Amino acid sequence: MSALPRRIIKETQRLMAEPVPGISAVPDESNARYFHVIVTGPEDSPFEGGLFKLELFLPEDYPMSAPKVRFITKIYHPNIDKLGRICLDILKDKWSPALQIRTVLLSIQALLSAPNPDDPLANDVAELWKINESEAIRNAKEWTRKYAMEN
Amino acid sequence: MGNCLKGTSNEDISLLRGNESSSDNQHDVIQSPPYRERVPVYYPAPNDRRPANQLSEEEQIRIARRIGLMEHLPILAYDDSINKNKECVICMIEFKIGEEVRYLPCMHVYHVSCIDDWLMRSFTCPSCMEPVDAALLTSYDTN
Repeated sequence: MSALPRRIIKETQRLMAEPVPGISAVPDESNARYFHVIVTGPEDSPFEGGLFKLELFLPEDYPMSAPKVRFITKIYHPNIDKLGRICLDILKDKWSPALQIRTVLLSIQALLSAPNPDDPLANDVAELWKINESEAIRNAKEWTRKYAMEN
Repeated sequence: MGNCLKGTSNEDISLLRGNESSSDNQHDVIQSPPYRERVPVYYPAPNDRRPANQLSEEEQIRIARRIGLMEHLPILAYDDSINKNKECVICMIEFKIGEEVRYLPCMHVYHVSCIDDWLMRSFTCPSCMEPVDAALLTSYDTN
C-alpha cells in the first residue's frame, strides 16, 4: 500500500483536534483511509435523538475524487436509499478538492435537516414526502426510534 | 444534482472495494517491464478515467485545447504579502516563499502540480467553482 498523503494525515489530525459538533469520525485501526462515522440527528428534524452510523472511504486519488460515504444505520430519508447511498451533489459532480471530510459530513448533517424530495434517490420515500409530508415525517421519526436509538 | 439515479445499479456497495480498478493498475506498474511505456490516462469528463488510446478524436481535441489554455495560466513565485492563503487547499502543505504557484483568473493560487492534476479533470477553480475557460476568455476580451 502506498504511503498516506500528507493531506489525509492533516485532515485526520484536525478532525481529532477540532471535531465537528454532533459528528464523530474515527479512522479504522487497520486502514487510515476508512473512517467510522457517527452523525447525531439534527435538532428539530425527524431524526432528532438518533445516532446514525456511516462509513467513509477516501479513494486512492482523493482529494481529486470525492470520498465514498454510506449510511450503515437504516434511515427514512428521500435522498438516502435502502442501501444507505446518499444523493448529494458534492459527492458526485459538484466535488472539489477544496472540500474536506469535515465539509462533506457537515453537508450530510444539513441534508438531514433539509430533505429534498425533488431530487430523490429512495423513490417511494420521496413520493410520500411530496404527497403526504406529515406521514413521511412520522415514518422518519419511527425509523429513527427503531434503528437509530440504542436500547 | 439530479444524476443520482444513473449509475446506481451496482449493488456492490462495499466502500473498501471501491478502488479495485486503481489497485489493478498498480499491479500493472509492478508487473509490466520497465521498457514498456505506459499509456497516459486522461479524464474526458470528471470520474471518466480512460487511457489516451481509448479517447475519441473529439475528446482528444478537447483535452489538447484545455492543455493549451492551461499554459496561459500564469506561474509566479509565492509571495506571502500578496497571497492570503498560507497553504495549498489541495495538498494542505504550506506554501514556501518563492515557490512556484499557478494563478487562476479568479486569483486563487495552488501548487502547479496540484492544480494541473485537477484542471485536467474539471476546468473549474476548486475554491470558488468559477469555470476557468469562461474567465480566461473574459480576461482576453477586456485586455
